[in-house]
Amino acid sequence: MEIIKAGSDGIYLPQLNIGLDYSGSDAEYVFVSHGHSDHIPRRSTANTYATRPTKKFMKLRNYRGQIEELNFGNSLETDTARITFYPAGHILGSAMTFIESDFGNLLYTGDYRSPASPASEGFQLPKEAVDYFITEATFSLPIYRWKSYTHLEKQICSFASNALNEGYTPIFLAYNLGKAQEIMHFLKNLNHPVQIHNAGFKLCDVYEQEGIDLGQYETYDHDTCKGKILITPGSALGNGFASNIKKKRIAYCSGWAAMEARRVQMTVDKLIPLSDHLDFFELIRLCEKLNPKKTYITHTPNPNVVLHYLEKRGIAASTLKQRQKTA
Amino acid sequence: MNEQHPHTFHALARTAQQIRESRGTNAKIRVCMEYLRSIKEDEHLNLAVQFLGEGAFSDISGKRASVGSRTTSTLAADFCEIDYELVFKPCRTATGSSSETIEKLFTNIPAARQKWEPVGLSLKEIETVYEQLYNTSSRAGKQEVLEEYWRKMRPLEVKYFIRIMGRGSLRIGFETKSIINAISKAFGKDTEAVRYAHMITGSIGKTAVLAKNNTLDEASFKLFHPLPFMLASPIESRAVDQYSKYIAEEKFDGMRCQVHIEGDRVELYSRDLNDITHSFPEIIEFFAEKDLPKLVLDGEICVFKDNTILPFQLLQKRLGIKKPSRKILDQYPVLLITYDLLYHDGEPIFDKTLLERRKLLSGLSRKYTFPITTQKEIKNREHIQELFDLALAHGNEGLMLKSKTSAYEYGQRRKSWLKVKKAGGSLDTIIMYAHAASGKRGGKYSDFTLGISVRDDERYEEEFIPIGKAYGGYTELERLNKKIKELTVERYGPTLGLIPGIVVELEFDDIQRNKRTKANYTLRLPRFKAIRWDLSPDDIDTLKEVERMFRDNINRDRLDQTQAPSFIWK
Repeated sequence: MEIIKAGSDGIYLPQLNIGLDYSGSDAEYVFVSHGHSDHIPRRSTANTYATRPTKKFMKLRNYRGQIEELNFGNSLETDTARITFYPAGHILGSAMTFIESDFGNLLYTGDYRSPASPASEGFQLPKEAVDYFITEATFSLPIYRWKSYTHLEKQICSFASNALNEGYTPIFLAYNLGKAQEIMHFLKNLNHPVQIHNAGFKLCDVYEQEGIDLGQYETYDHDTCKGKILITPGSALGNGFASNIKKKRIAYCSGWAAMEARRVQMTVDKLIPLSDHLDFFELIRLCEKLNPKKTYITHTPNPNVVLHYLEKRGIAASTLKQRQKTA
Repeated sequence: MNEQHPHTFHALARTAQQIRESRGTNAKIRVCMEYLRSIKEDEHLNLAVQFLGEGAFSDISGKRASVGSRTTSTLAADFCEIDYELVFKPCRTATGSSSETIEKLFTNIPAARQKWEPVGLSLKEIETVYEQLYNTSSRAGKQEVLEEYWRKMRPLEVKYFIRIMGRGSLRIGFETKSIINAISKAFGKDTEAVRYAHMITGSIGKTAVLAKNNTLDEASFKLFHPLPFMLASPIESRAVDQYSKYIAEEKFDGMRCQVHIEGDRVELYSRDLNDITHSFPEIIEFFAEKDLPKLVLDGEICVFKDNTILPFQLLQKRLGIKKPSRKILDQYPVLLITYDLLYHDGEPIFDKTLLERRKLLSGLSRKYTFPITTQKEIKNREHIQELFDLALAHGNEGLMLKSKTSAYEYGQRRKSWLKVKKAGGSLDTIIMYAHAASGKRGGKYSDFTLGISVRDDERYEEEFIPIGKAYGGYTELERLNKKIKELTVERYGPTLGLIPGIVVELEFDDIQRNKRTKANYTLRLPRFKAIRWDLSPDDIDTLKEVERMFRDNINRDRLDQTQAPSFIWK
């Protein structure tokens, strides 16, 4: 199968006329893996498909084109392929795209997380054999191994309640779509009011419509935020967010928080390695389980270690080249 | 947990990590203070504080575990059953720390997890491990010791075990000043008294024990226990108001040294308080023969030949050699040039003024004929320039201005001593890597690895090789960071690999040989002079240029000591 990595324009499969998170003008069909802006097509004249939550996020984020809903469990048949979304566990609505065709079966992960985020539809693999596996590898080194969600939930809740008990306002630094709501979902049992940055607030409705409990929350308000649990992207802190509060404690929630260097870079009180990508060990395990004919690594700061591990396990793998023809 | 087993190494590691994770000096001091109070036995308190503040060995012991980063890293890779080059190194690049990498891999990798089983080693046991490492010379031998004990530790313990062993900073944002604060708070003592005891004993661990037992006043200066050196600030950073307050002497291109003398027992200590007696037998002999009273002298060791002071690079040939051969002694003869007196007539005199100390030193120098610096009154600003030029002509680094009324402020770098130096040179270099900044510049890149060109150098395959690390560009941080973004091709956690594109004019004090680097040279005190937006990678300096500068400096003409000498002898 021919696979074209079109740089920041996503991936294009010319024989099937399919684009994956694709912004170029060649594809007839485009499948959007999830609602993060680096995966949403910037423009598209193609028939564009996304899950219901992803479609809503795209609309809320001002995507102007037409979007067709393709939900988990349903397939789309084109002249040359059958396309099915599988839950990717990354954020609500996130989907892996599974393509069956005469050229072989291909699974494109988009961003994914296994075990799945509790604030998502879960994680599920297709039962059929996968010939070509295009996987992201954001955390592509064995220094990354995530703690269980039970553990992380406890860490998040005790950070918030300890701060509150000691008279501090807890602030979680988390990006607006996905991480913010995941944290709110964890915090719901504290029954303490949460204020979330306005840009993230707008996206919370979609979560509730899909039945994910986000607890008691409102949009951030400078005058009343003291003593609430606050959630904001890190960038807002420099722009006056909660600047009126002297006694605050800040937690940075990200996979990158696994590294100590982040503490000084971010100037925060607590690093919570809460990631919405799968860790290194899970990635290797998954490749072993799928045992595809060929694995392609993309979206990674350093593919070499993953490639070395896969090679040792006899799994054919390479990085996704500009223009890739599978053997 | 800490409360139950405060004497374990794990309690120390947890405390260090807790200090690391606390924000603000006061919060950190509080964590440390509570830990210190929880330790019952003196012996354990001594070790705990020494490990936190000094390292595996007390500064004055002169001992080192001498375990390099490669020794620990390759062993750790074997321990995890991973490839050192292909797996360990990329991980270290991402974290920026080998000890942190080891902690993570020991936690994450199943093969490693199976090997370790914590037994709760005590501080005392860890001390014996460091002793074993000190007494083992081969890398294989050291690795055997390390592996035996790593199997008994948690990954957190291993991380701090390595950091303490390295004598470097524990990287928990907690330096000596804070530890002194924690000791004084823990035992309700005056901070100044604790600091004084530390300076005198040279041991932060002993100081803690003295504080705990209400015996800080027992701390007194002893011969053959080196005192931390008084240091100088660059003159740029401290405005001089009245020149008449200072005297000037030449700043030698040598090695700082403290000499302790009692009869024919003579010992030499370096800036980092290591015993360097055996490297310089001619200095020992020189002073031992003179039948001097008990003395502590401060001065500089220089290579001195044909009545001329020779460059530091030649002195380097003498460093680290414990028993120099006849040939080396003849080729690189050294001299100790004194400029201060700290102990005289059976008592420390560092509280006396420089003028008083100097008077005593001059008397001794005349009576026993040993070298002493020439000191000059400063007439005006122009006079400084004149003296400075003379110093450079002598082959020296520049000038020292010393406040006449100042005490010997051991271990301090204040305004009483000022150094006037000239930059050794500058090179146009290329930014190869950018490292994320910390603190108030967090999130921006302001630390850089800089390279020189070896494009047409048949000895290298690369186009550029690193020559040094420096930080800077603060005034143009936005522009610089925008450009960095455009040039980034690789990302290793906090470090970015860049396409050559940004030229930095780098200033430095000196060039030194260093066989452990790719270039075989390192720069002393490299710093940004300017970002040269006007230059391209084709314009940057080559390794050959560095080699030329190094040779030129060694071979440059030096005024001998016949006229207007830098020091007097006889």
